[in-house]
Amino acid sequence: MSVALDTARFGSGRAVNRLEDPQLVAGRGRYTDDLNYPVQLYLVFVRSTYAHANIRAVDVSSALGMPGVVAVYTGADLVDAGVKPMPGPAGFPRPDGSPAASAPRRALAYQRVRYVGEAVAAVVAESIEQARAAAEAVWVDYEELPSVVNAFDAMQPGAPQLCGQAPDNIAAAMRHGDAQATAAAFASAAHVVSLDIHNQRLAPSPIEPRSMLALVHADDDRLVVHVSSQMPTGVRGTLVDAIPGLSAERVRVLVGDVGGGFGMKTGAYPEDITVAFAALTLRRPIKWRAERIEEFLSAVHGRDVTSRAELALDAQGKALALRVRGVANVGAYATATGVAIQVIVGPWVSTSIYDIPLIDLSFTAVMTNTATTGAYRGAGRPEAIYLTERLMDAAARKLNLDPAELRRRNMIRPDQMPYKTPMAQVYDCGQFEKILDQGLALADWQGFAARRDASAQRGKLRGRGIATFLEWTGGNALEERVSVKVTADGFIELGSATQAMGQGIATSYAQLAVDVFGVPIERIRVLQGDTDRANGFGSAGSRSLFTGGSAVDVVSRKTVDHAKALAAESLEAPLQDIEYAAGRFSVAGTDLGIGLFDLAGQQLGAQILVDGSSTAGAPSWPNACHICEVEIDAATGGVEIVAYASVNDIGRVVSPTIVRGQVEGGAVQGIGQALCEAVTYDRDTGQLQSASFMDYAMPHADGFLGFKTRFDTSIPCTTNVLGVKGVGELGTIGATPAVVNAVIDALDHAGLGNLGEGLQMPLTAERVWRALNLKQVDPSPYRV
Amino acid sequence: MVNVSLQVNGRTMSADVEPQALLLDLLRGPLALTGTHQGCDTGQCGACTVHLDGEAVKSCSVLAVQAQGRAVTTVEGLAQGDKLHPVQQAFIDCHGLQCGFCTPGMMMTAACLLKKTPRPSEAEIVQALEGNLCRCTGYVNIVKAVQQAAGAATQGASV
Repeated sequence: MSVALDTARFGSGRAVNRLEDPQLVAGRGRYTDDLNYPVQLYLVFVRSTYAHANIRAVDVSSALGMPGVVAVYTGADLVDAGVKPMPGPAGFPRPDGSPAASAPRRALAYQRVRYVGEAVAAVVAESIEQARAAAEAVWVDYEELPSVVNAFDAMQPGAPQLCGQAPDNIAAAMRHGDAQATAAAFASAAHVVSLDIHNQRLAPSPIEPRSMLALVHADDDRLVVHVSSQMPTGVRGTLVDAIPGLSAERVRVLVGDVGGGFGMKTGAYPEDITVAFAALTLRRPIKWRAERIEEFLSAVHGRDVTSRAELALDAQGKALALRVRGVANVGAYATATGVAIQVIVGPWVSTSIYDIPLIDLSFTAVMTNTATTGAYRGAGRPEAIYLTERLMDAAARKLNLDPAELRRRNMIRPDQMPYKTPMAQVYDCGQFEKILDQGLALADWQGFAARRDASAQRGKLRGRGIATFLEWTGGNALEERVSVKVTADGFIELGSATQAMGQGIATSYAQLAVDVFGVPIERIRVLQGDTDRANGFGSAGSRSLFTGGSAVDVVSRKTVDHAKALAAESLEAPLQDIEYAAGRFSVAGTDLGIGLFDLAGQQLGAQILVDGSSTAGAPSWPNACHICEVEIDAATGGVEIVAYASVNDIGRVVSPTIVRGQVEGGAVQGIGQALCEAVTYDRDTGQLQSASFMDYAMPHADGFLGFKTRFDTSIPCTTNVLGVKGVGELGTIGATPAVVNAVIDALDHAGLGNLGEGLQMPLTAERVWRALNLKQVDPSPYRV
Repeated sequence: MVNVSLQVNGRTMSADVEPQALLLDLLRGPLALTGTHQGCDTGQCGACTVHLDGEAVKSCSVLAVQAQGRAVTTVEGLAQGDKLHPVQQAFIDCHGLQCGFCTPGMMMTAACLLKKTPRPSEAEIVQALEGNLCRCTGYVNIVKAVQQAAGAATQGASV
């Protein structure tokens, strides 16, 4: 085999079948709940039925007497054992300058519950049936307290309080920009547009629920934790911090196949601490698999921020200033992640690809009696970009300009790169107008009028929506380590702490390794999910390829260099005469040589080991133009997507099949937010109303399937060795505004003018019907 | 406990189960066939879909005792030896899976559809998959995979 042949077939840029798939389609995946140990016990949580209550007593005596029950733990038991709460939102200020506030988030509630579904007790039994039955017998004496689920209600004087340090329930707040200069720009602007927007709460909903299996190895007294997580090292850290007497050396976190994450499986959960504690205490394997209702109740939710967003423009439509007031509902326990997403990550991209000189952004994170919010695909960027792209359309409507033309007038030009935003973020590259022009061509923007007429002939209202945008990637964790192991049996193993959850990391990394080693892709194995082998930030924020992939490239090259020296020794030839190609070292000008794997066989342990790291210079800034067309049935209000075209700049493409799947699958999640998904709580009782897939409307197979998706690979990222930009969240960020803008456009054309701008997501048939037929939209969700 | 005896992937198997145990519990527990997944507990996600006497059913909605004496096919029984079922090959070829968790249920539903309707229209495919949720792919490549498998199945049949 020649290098050319293997790299041409399997290297970067080639569409290959994924290495992950043969196992998965055969039913031989290794998801956490697929594992079982002899004599394992089952853990079931008792969860609060109240949104807010004092716990007067927890009586576990009946449960303890039931068949098969081994232990029952309460919050008080864990406090007595010295188990510490999880970290709060350290590092952020409250409006009065005091540190960020949150009630302590505990593994099991102690003295008070703050949302429906909060874990109050844990029952451990010999079988799952016995554990479930005994959980029913745990008697909790609650003293119900008034509750609040809406962030604006929570800030009212006299509202129920979530924690003593925040009488106003404000966990944290941040302001960015120049308020005075922005106000002056607004005062003298030719045009001002203003929108009140609720970015509704979502349930991330990976189809695999959270699962954990924890046990103590008798021989070395180490805790082994199998868990479905995007961040194995982070889970280890949280367990070590919370459980007394545990050290990082004593814990091994193992992650197998992960059945979707989308941000929801970043970091550890309170439940994880309880499961690990039970394993350490009982010294038997403990298994917990969340039921779907537990995922809706107690896994983190995403989004939930309500904003007043305003844009000032001059007479020609050039944006002068952006002003946003945002109130984020971060749930009962504010976390650093949940707060950061809303008060800092979103603002980083608020001006997006536009040259907007002035900003005044103010975000307030408010605690309520709802589940904690955290990362969900995009995490802050979908919320921010949605505001900006809605404002662009509102401005175009007001100025009577083509929305693409208004955007074009405001785009940052290539000659402005590197470009520093008012948030002090630096874009290394981007040719936004070029991406726009390709998007317009792909979507046949100019031919829309004829399609609108054709739809009208069929009795349908057609609308067109555009979103041109960028996003920040990387989680500000830019270093990754990779270990390369070449073994005599003919394999190259890449060890990484990035963690796959469906995005095909093994395949993409293997393609990069094929580029360097020139061996068939079957020779490459990628090891993930073992904190004894690799530690790092994990996978989140579309970072894996540009940080971990860069490390694969760098350390693979280092391995070839290192092995060249070994080959020189083995072949007794000068180093400078050694050449490498296609898994073989040779001495230039001779027929002397040795295979890479044979060379490994000559080394101590029959392997060549090289460890190293790579650090990207900065976050990457993927960007895109997404254009959607919808048809509305005026009689029902039903919205159907009929065309969707996108041109995406993610820099160099390593795995074309995978990135297309990421953009299109991601777009369907964004469409879900636009049209159907919403987590809702009853305002009076704080009960979760969307607690199953019957009540939480996920996109089904009957949605739109005809995506036109293109990639412009001519604008590589300049701050990492591969030239790649993150891709995992791009589709989700672009789809939501593209779809909503299309619906509002259709309503405008139906004679509603800008009434549709008052619609809130999800754009259900009922909402659209009311707008069309009753000229009604919901009252503004933003309250001053 | 009740003893249940049934055919699974062509082999007779039996196990003692609780009377309230689901077919899903029997497969994943005593029979250790973990390719069938549990995603929602409420009959909506379809990750647990298997064939019961040739019909695609959600194994979370069938009691284990109801399978007494009947024939069950799980994802582990889809391939013929080393030869993948056309649906399995098509899911690989079309990138019809990402995290793979919904995939066994999707493939079992698709395989049942193709057995009854060898050349389904896109509308028929979408309708058949209505009871299966996927959060990763947006269904685009799943529908493509079923279409490819239909083509492959037809080719195979005509040879």
